[in-house]
Amino acid sequence: MDTETEKIVRNRVAELLNEDVEAFVVFVRKETEPRERITVIKGPEEAEKVALSPLSVNNTARVLLEVVNNFDGKVGVVAKGCDSKAIKGLISEGKIEREKIHIIGISCPGIVDYRKLIAFSPEDVIFEDGKLIIKPGDKEIPLEEVIHDNCRYCRSPSPVIYDEIYGKAREPFDGTDDDEIEKLPADERWKYWIDVFEKCIRCYACRSACPMCYCTECLVDPVNLAISPMSTAEEKAAYPRFLGKTVTPADNLFYHLIRVFHHAGRCADCGECERACPMDIPLRKLERKLQKEIKEIFGYEDEDIPFLAKLDIIPEGR
Amino acid sequence: MMEDFEPKILVFACNWCSYAGADLAGTSRLQYAPNVRIVRVMCSGMVNPAMILYAFRKGFDGVVVAGCHPGDCHYNVGNYYAKKRIVLLKEMLDFIGFESDRLKLLWASAAEGKKFAEEMTNFTERIRKLGPQTKFRG
Repeated sequence: MDTETEKIVRNRVAELLNEDVEAFVVFVRKETEPRERITVIKGPEEAEKVALSPLSVNNTARVLLEVVNNFDGKVGVVAKGCDSKAIKGLISEGKIEREKIHIIGISCPGIVDYRKLIAFSPEDVIFEDGKLIIKPGDKEIPLEEVIHDNCRYCRSPSPVIYDEIYGKAREPFDGTDDDEIEKLPADERWKYWIDVFEKCIRCYACRSACPMCYCTECLVDPVNLAISPMSTAEEKAAYPRFLGKTVTPADNLFYHLIRVFHHAGRCADCGECERACPMDIPLRKLERKLQKEIKEIFGYEDEDIPFLAKLDIIPEGR
Repeated sequence: MMEDFEPKILVFACNWCSYAGADLAGTSRLQYAPNVRIVRVMCSGMVNPAMILYAFRKGFDGVVVAGCHPGDCHYNVGNYYAKKRIVLLKEMLDFIGFESDRLKLLWASAAEGKKFAEEMTNFTERIRKLGPQTKFRG
């Protein structure tokens, strides 16, 4: 994702917008922070503000899913490895039509943990030749030092689905993903997670940011209660729900376990949940553990059939 | 305190096999631990992991999901879904440091009243050894 790639992508976006693509989901530089935000552009004249660098941290799949049905024609999208994984998942689940989108795939060298750069002003941070350059004092930081933790475990830095592809990818992570927590005794593990989830304020930002969490009604806050004008307050209060509004560590753990469970075999490994979390909770640890078990127990990994739709993979002796 | 501990166990039994199995255990006048409370569900495949966690949250010491043997499901594949979920849920419970032994998946057909009774007694003993469940009760 060097400046070269950025230029190519900018030109391609302008070209495609002149052709049959009606709108494009792209990154543009944010004015207040050194990172890129996602926006939707509709004309080739807007293409010049398209930006692309390791500061393009967010997952475009989420925005694509939200806007794709607002347009009659094709919608383009710039997608990194994990974004394309999410898009592939959404296509296989019937949320997006493959013919309706044009994917510019970006082989990704890894993205920056923008929280490590939050102290700098946006004009001061430039990315060049695999290094971040902080302008005052021309300080150079190698990408590996500020890379998002999640990218170290990335198995698909190159897009899995695309119409055209640019850029140079990092080495995919290849190894078993053992967390140090697994080695602790059970009581300490429990203590660790309770400590972690004590911080959770259940703002549901992890759910809102996740490209795979697209249910209109979520298990944890049912909105379509069967109430009528005659329903009393008691009836509404007693409406069965799995999780109340209390924010205790055990409740938070309940919520996060269920949230992770709903991503079994679907998680795009983009780390958007962790980035969205205002309390810095290591949410990816749970997701990674679940994906690892799915791979180890069921031997399922990145197949075209959704994990839960596959029935012939009941392991022996379990 | 420990001597007074009587485990509370929730059983989700599927309508077509396990519930009939439990019924057979009753009509055959088999004795088994009175600690179990049976909830009849239409299929073990409808048991949402959230229902299991909810049971723990409300203070149950153990949860059993009982369904038809693989291949015998009234809905053909419901118990396969159940198996998938429970296997993964157990792994995740282990990962967060919760005793996954408190959760059990049991295959019991309508003819296995004896097996059902035995399994319930064994499971109750297992939970009795583990002690009260306080982690999720919170």
